[in-house]
Amino acid sequence: MRGCAFTGGLVLLSLALFVTCMGCHGRIGEPNDQDELMRPEEVISFDRLYQQNCSACHGENGSGGPALDLSNPTYQALVDDASLKRWITSGMPGTQMPAFGESAGGFLTEQQIDALVAGMRARWMFKKSAGVAMPSYLATIVGNAGHGEAIFQASCVSCHRQDKQKITNTSYLALVSDQSLRTIVIAGRPDLGQPDWEHVRPGQPLADQDVSDIVAYLHSLRSDTPGQPYPDESAKR
Amino acid sequence: MRRLKVLYEWFDRRLQLGEPIKEMALHPVPNKTASWWYVFGSAAFVLLMLQIVTGILLALVYVPSAGQAWNSLNVLNHQLTLGWFLRAMHGWGSNFMVAVVLIHMAQVFLFGAYKFPRELTWVLGVFLLLMTLGMAFTGQVLRFDQDAYWGLGIGASIASRVPFVGNWAVHMMLGGPIIAGATLSRFFAFHVFVIPGMLLAFACLHVWMVLKLGINEWPMPGRIVRRATYAAEYHKLTKKDGRAFVPGAVWKDAFFSAAILAAVAVCAAVLGPYGPGGRPDPTIIQTAPKPDFFFLWLYAVLSYLPPSLETPFLLIAPALGIAGLVALPFCAGEGEKSWHRRPVAILMLTSIALAWSVLTHLGTFTPWSPKMTAWSGGSPVPVRYTHDASPLQRQGAIVFQSKQCRNCHSIAGVGGQRGPALDLVASRMTEDQLIRQVLQGGGNMPAYGKNLSPSEVTALVSFLETLHPANEPPAADASRNAAAVLVTPAHQ
Ligand code: HEC
Ligand code: HEC
Ligand code: HEC
Repeated sequence: MRGCAFTGGLVLLSLALFVTCMGCHGRIGEPNDQDELMRPEEVISFDRLYQQNCSACHGENGSGGPALDLSNPTYQALVDDASLKRWITSGMPGTQMPAFGESAGGFLTEQQIDALVAGMRARWMFKKSAGVAMPSYLATIVGNAGHGEAIFQASCVSCHRQDKQKITNTSYLALVSDQSLRTIVIAGRPDLGQPDWEHVRPGQPLADQDVSDIVAYLHSLRSDTPGQPYPDESAKR
Repeated sequence: MRRLKVLYEWFDRRLQLGEPIKEMALHPVPNKTASWWYVFGSAAFVLLMLQIVTGILLALVYVPSAGQAWNSLNVLNHQLTLGWFLRAMHGWGSNFMVAVVLIHMAQVFLFGAYKFPRELTWVLGVFLLLMTLGMAFTGQVLRFDQDAYWGLGIGASIASRVPFVGNWAVHMMLGGPIIAGATLSRFFAFHVFVIPGMLLAFACLHVWMVLKLGINEWPMPGRIVRRATYAAEYHKLTKKDGRAFVPGAVWKDAFFSAAILAAVAVCAAVLGPYGPGGRPDPTIIQTAPKPDFFFLWLYAVLSYLPPSLETPFLLIAPALGIAGLVALPFCAGEGEKSWHRRPVAILMLTSIALAWSVLTHLGTFTPWSPKMTAWSGGSPVPVRYTHDASPLQRQGAIVFQSKQCRNCHSIAGVGGQRGPALDLVASRMTEDQLIRQVLQGGGNMPAYGKNLSPSEVTALVSFLETLHPANEPPAADASRNAAAVLVTPAHQ
């Protein structure tokens, strides 16, 4: 009797193993391990490269991470290939975007970085009907901080007044660059609710000059000694 | 039919094998022993046969040269029909064999079957276990992938610590001063000729003794083994309360062995072959080599030992363990067999099993080594912590990634386990404690003071402050609230 229970248990156990493992393995057949067998510098699959190097900051499918949502089509329409390549290879100065290129001490070869750029374009770039001319990606005009402050008060403060959304915090400003601010003001962050240049001011898209002015204003708020301990203390007192 | 009988008689006349085989098949076994507990030994033997058959088939394709071995395994995996299944059967067969041999050994120990007159059977069994482990290790090396390469490196560094003969031992093991073609030839010879030859010979001798001495009777409390009287008592028992091995007991062995073979096949089909992993190339440093399942416990032990104890442990513990196993039947060759009267034996077995499973478990997820890719790859910090956070806190989440905190600390189950998971850290540490921990480190955590700018610290700590359950406020320093109350009127 005990014997029957024993073998019955064994059969059930192997069956359970079979079923659970079917779930994780997916199929029976020769192993699908081509990617793992490659030398790390030979991998050029976008999914694998992105998953290993970028997803923890930029989000698993290019959005929802703490850093910029690269899958935002407005961002993809805004940025040029050369800039993408430059930031990925050598990092983005003034921000926490690390350098990945071998030339800058990282692990990615030039081909791999090209594969990343091409993959982002293929996946996340949609041709949008060009309505209003978009401000340029890189700043071309010197901004006017005074005018920027006026726009900021008129268009941004409504959302960014509360403590929680303070982008004028000096520690925050010390960790972002003028370029990364410019990117966000133009392309927005749809995953967080930040409107893009066309919609941030109802009925009146931001012009190239306006963007430069806002960034100049935010730049003027930077502090020489940011990040003093207990920053919220002064607010409380 | 008649023709067959004539043929049989012609051969048996010359071979003289019929009589001993019949005697073996019909030898009496005690009734209670024809139990499901006694099937592991035969299953181990059947697995050995499986390994020999699949091993020979593998050897037809495998090329034992440093340049070709890895490729030939990939040819098996990808280009030959069912080649992957053959590799998987051999790999899983090996796992099952080690497991079944260990279970068999535990059962023999528990049932006191090593006592008089079966001492030598036990000692041979100990050697069979060592050889099985030797096969598992040399087999892992033949895979010649990254794990094998580094596993060998570790094996060699263990050998090199033996006093006086260390260097010579390494030379013997690797076939030279470095891991190269000669190393593989050497391991191939051991895995394919030397160890299997001995294993087969010892296993046959082991089975021979089991048949000749009779299978161990079911242990009964109070039935004491004495050298003087045991043989007669056993004889009486099998006479009075026994049955012929065939067919009385053998069907259970056959059934269990078939079930084990089926289990190997299921695992092989579903879980697939072992590796080969990445190329065996020491210039690839983005790798975290790991030994195969049955050596994980050793890996865990070595990771936890302080470095000064490693060498003594590596050299003394195996010698002591083997000596203990061999000495067992000579120290406890008589007396009680029943586990009801052997509390120490039970205690030993359970503590060894427990320690082994805990260490193996630790070895599978290596909490002691940081996860070197968690900072850039994998899932980001969950959206619930970053979506409604302030811009500063969101930058803090990025600092947490870019300064590689996540390699040691997990959030939402993703990240290393070198340090504690930080999902709830704000409910147990105040802002000041967090700042102190980040700047000064402590325990096994590096001090980040010089590597973080003041704004990075501020951002990081404001992010860590958000790591608490929604319905529970973060830990706060009571004295700071009191200070704030005191200061407020003065400023108004
Ligand atoms: C440690 C976190 C981190 C990792 C990992 C990371 N990034 Fe970034 N990245 C940032 C930050 C921070 C910025 C600055 C923008 C911002 O503030 O969100 C940035 C900016 C960028 C930009 C420029 C955005 C702009 O303003 O035009 C690109 C392109 C980019 N990253 C691509 C990548 C790619 C591709 C990878 C993977 C190879 C990657 N990043 C990995 C943190 C990271
Ligand atoms: C409709 C409300 C709204 C308006 C108007 C708005 N924002 Fe935002 N903004 C958001 C939200 C929501 C976020 C994401 C959450 C957060 O950071 O507070 C955000 C985020 C940002 C960020 C990025 C913060 C980070 O995490 O890196 C910047 C920079 C920013 N806004 C600048 C501006 C500027 C400049 C303007 C005015 C031109 C503006 N915003 C107008 C809602 C708004
Ligand atoms: C090398 C691995 C490692 C890295 C990298 C690391 N930590 Fe730690 N951390 C630890 C260990 C180990 C402990 C436990 C220290 C102890 O026992 O006192 C710890 C403890 C902590 C604690 C206290 C947790 C508690 O519950 O007691 C905090 C907070 C913390 N670390 C934050 C960080 C932050 C922030 C970073 C990145 C700047 C970081 N750690 C980087 C290993 C690490």
